[in-house]
Amino acid sequence: MASASQTKFAADEERRNSDHISFLRHRRWRWLKVATVLSLVVIVSYLLVDVEPRHNGGTWYGYTLGTIGAGLIVWLALLGIRKRRMSEGKWSLKAWTSAHVYLGLALIVIGTMHTGFQLGWNVHTLAWALMILVIVSGIYGIIVYAMLPEKISANRREMTKGEMLDALAAIDRQLDNASQPLGRAESDLVIAALEQDPFKFGIVTRLSGNYRKCRTTAALKAFGEGVVHDEETDKVVKLLRKRRAQLDQIRRQMKLRALLDIWLYVHVPVTIALLAALTAHIVSVFYYW
Amino acid sequence: MDILIRSIQLTATGREIVRERELTADTITVGRSTENAIPLPDLAVEQQHLTITQDTAGTLHAKAAGTLGFTHDGVHTMAAAIEPSRGGELGVGSYRLEFGAGEAEGAVVVTIRRKAADEGEARDQLAGFGVASVLPSRRLVSWGALLAILIAFLAVPVITHVTRDRVAEPDIDSEGVVVMDASWSTGALSSVHHGLEDNCEACHVEPFVAVRDETCQTCHNQLGDHADLDRQRRGMPEFSGGEAFLWSVAHAFGKPGPAACTDCHTEHEGAGEMEPTSQQFCSDCHATLDVRLTDTALGNAADFGTDHPQFQTLVHPARGAEEIRLSLDNVTEDFNGVKFPHDMHLSDTNGVARMAMRLRLAGNDGGLECASCHQTTADGVRFLPVEMEDSCEACHSLVYDRVGSTFRSLSHGDIEQTQADLMASDRSPRSPVSSGRRRPGPFAPGGIYYGNFGRVLNTRLTRADFADEALCGECHYPGDGPELSVVPVTQRSRYFMHGWFDHSAHGTNAMGASTEAEACASCHEADTSSSANDLLMPDLASCRDCHMGEDAVEAEVPSTCAMCHSYHPPASVDSAPRRIASLTRRREDER
Repeated sequence: MASASQTKFAADEERRNSDHISFLRHRRWRWLKVATVLSLVVIVSYLLVDVEPRHNGGTWYGYTLGTIGAGLIVWLALLGIRKRRMSEGKWSLKAWTSAHVYLGLALIVIGTMHTGFQLGWNVHTLAWALMILVIVSGIYGIIVYAMLPEKISANRREMTKGEMLDALAAIDRQLDNASQPLGRAESDLVIAALEQDPFKFGIVTRLSGNYRKCRTTAALKAFGEGVVHDEETDKVVKLLRKRRAQLDQIRRQMKLRALLDIWLYVHVPVTIALLAALTAHIVSVFYYW
Repeated sequence: MDILIRSIQLTATGREIVRERELTADTITVGRSTENAIPLPDLAVEQQHLTITQDTAGTLHAKAAGTLGFTHDGVHTMAAAIEPSRGGELGVGSYRLEFGAGEAEGAVVVTIRRKAADEGEARDQLAGFGVASVLPSRRLVSWGALLAILIAFLAVPVITHVTRDRVAEPDIDSEGVVVMDASWSTGALSSVHHGLEDNCEACHVEPFVAVRDETCQTCHNQLGDHADLDRQRRGMPEFSGGEAFLWSVAHAFGKPGPAACTDCHTEHEGAGEMEPTSQQFCSDCHATLDVRLTDTALGNAADFGTDHPQFQTLVHPARGAEEIRLSLDNVTEDFNGVKFPHDMHLSDTNGVARMAMRLRLAGNDGGLECASCHQTTADGVRFLPVEMEDSCEACHSLVYDRVGSTFRSLSHGDIEQTQADLMASDRSPRSPVSSGRRRPGPFAPGGIYYGNFGRVLNTRLTRADFADEALCGECHYPGDGPELSVVPVTQRSRYFMHGWFDHSAHGTNAMGASTEAEACASCHEADTSSSANDLLMPDLASCRDCHMGEDAVEAEVPSTCAMCHSYHPPASVDSAPRRIASLTRRREDER
């Protein structure tokens, strides 16, 4: 009885531990090892195999690498389907993701050796370039996934995104009230700032954090920094500063989020484009054999 | 503290009802209970939810009374400080308490409103934080890219290829009609096929069918077979192991070969000369040819540096012998019918050199040079036959008569004409040397010492003229028949039947020589040859000074088979295989 419960405890413990191990270190770097061995085998065989007249995709060695590479690309792309089907056990999603990352990196070696370094302006090199773009975006994704969540968390200061918007709304209500005594010109500055949607900024602005069209900043500038105002105006200026501080937090949040998410907007569509280019590559090579 | 509590309620029609009451207390309590200074009838609010006090500076301090917090300016908290002059907003349950400064010193105004029901709007904006709100959908971009690539790089070329009008004999200068198939090219074509760069379908005729020999032969229709097809098949080794497997895979996919044009001539390897065929393609069969073709006259060859038979040259081993091909290991003489000691003619110090100098025929070092007699062909590949009239007659004069200021020469090479010339020569006696005095005694005409300075030549050729040192015999061997004749002279332009040698590629630069003569001498030992019968051909070993096999990186010139041999026999042995000639020139340029 005791031993059975101990076994269960050990099994549960193992599961709990594995739940907290990064997919990169899954099974003591199993897929890193597999991918490294695979890459080394490809590099060494590339150097040792003597094909005539030179290495390219059209030699027997090139066809072999091409077949392996195409198979890998399709399998790697299937992660998009696999991750939507939850399952447990041998092919856990974590194992799959770990293999996806490391085998994807090995694809740089396999795909490039398949080309024999014969690159040009054609659909074949297009497929290679798209593959490299997908892999590079994936590497970027892994790096930002390792670095940014901590920063995002720090930026939130224990506020949810909803609270950030609520805080902005609270400031806006006070601003609206506080601005009642202001003249026309000043009121227009405040209205302009209040009407501006904090999310109506493009991807470049979000990524750079350079909000040149920010009307809150413009209003503050119009009121003048360091200028002594009467009591009512001073209150509005202070609220505007508060608003800008709140906007800054929201914008940092958006910037970090954009940095964290942008790679998927390359990784996924370019993968689909790669599958198309790969199809065109394979069909064209045998069509014009 | 003094506080003005302004409570705003909305009627069903949206009209605001404002109620105001003033209160003075140390602590303002907020909660659901009616005992509180500010009662908020909302189940989400605790009975005593928070307390508000004012310090001496006028700042308000709100503090949660229970375990539930409240919001300050939208942010959840358990305690907050509010400067009445700057204002602040507390949120408790569905109520919002807005604090501000009253008109009196230190007075506080709090406005209480219930949140409107539709105020969840901000929450709907949460998606705005993500990049999805400002970027086109991934699905849309994916479909767009997928379709664009498949249409541009697949559908367009395939459709235009399938629906094109076939051209039976494509013209190298004309453009193809298939659209976008340039994007399929894996690399530039070699310079000879450059004109076909924009005409893929000229070679890629059928979809999914590898380029066939027939297609190559549409243009290359003058090529002879490498050997009898049946012998070629028998000479080919059985593939084994990996190679057999690779061919079985290749055949499964319908690839032609082995020995298809494209097996040796690979294209799309980049602009420039076509890649020379690797020696492996030759050595596959020729390394062990005698095993399969037991009757072959060819020696086995796999690598020029290590495994190549000795050269065989066409020679007359002796006067009267049949012309045969013999290995350079077994032959030193080639009877060519002329008596010509190269050493005497190339000397810098003897009578020949003296005469050459006097006639201004000598080269820089004083005597005759190779080039004094041997002239290259226009392409520089080999040598023109030596003509007696151009190269020998300056010294070996055949002048027999003088008419006025001109001289008459015997017709070289035509004995009958010579006889006729001699018979028709001027017979008038030479004008006597007349000084008015006569020589005495035995010096007088008829005397024993009479000097006859008159004509010495016979009036016709006789057999004596063919003896050694005589008029014809000085250079020629007398013929065997009863008629007067000489043994025909052989001047070979090619000694080798299968190999190709380009003299222009072996000039002073290539041979590391300072003069042309030195360059010649590095292969041909003419300056020590005392007989024209010496065979002055260099052997295999002397070529290997520079030329070794394709993989011999240490050699001065790593050489594939194709450097000297052509797989396709040219139409005539006298015409240089174009590819070999151009290859040789390219090697020269690279140096």
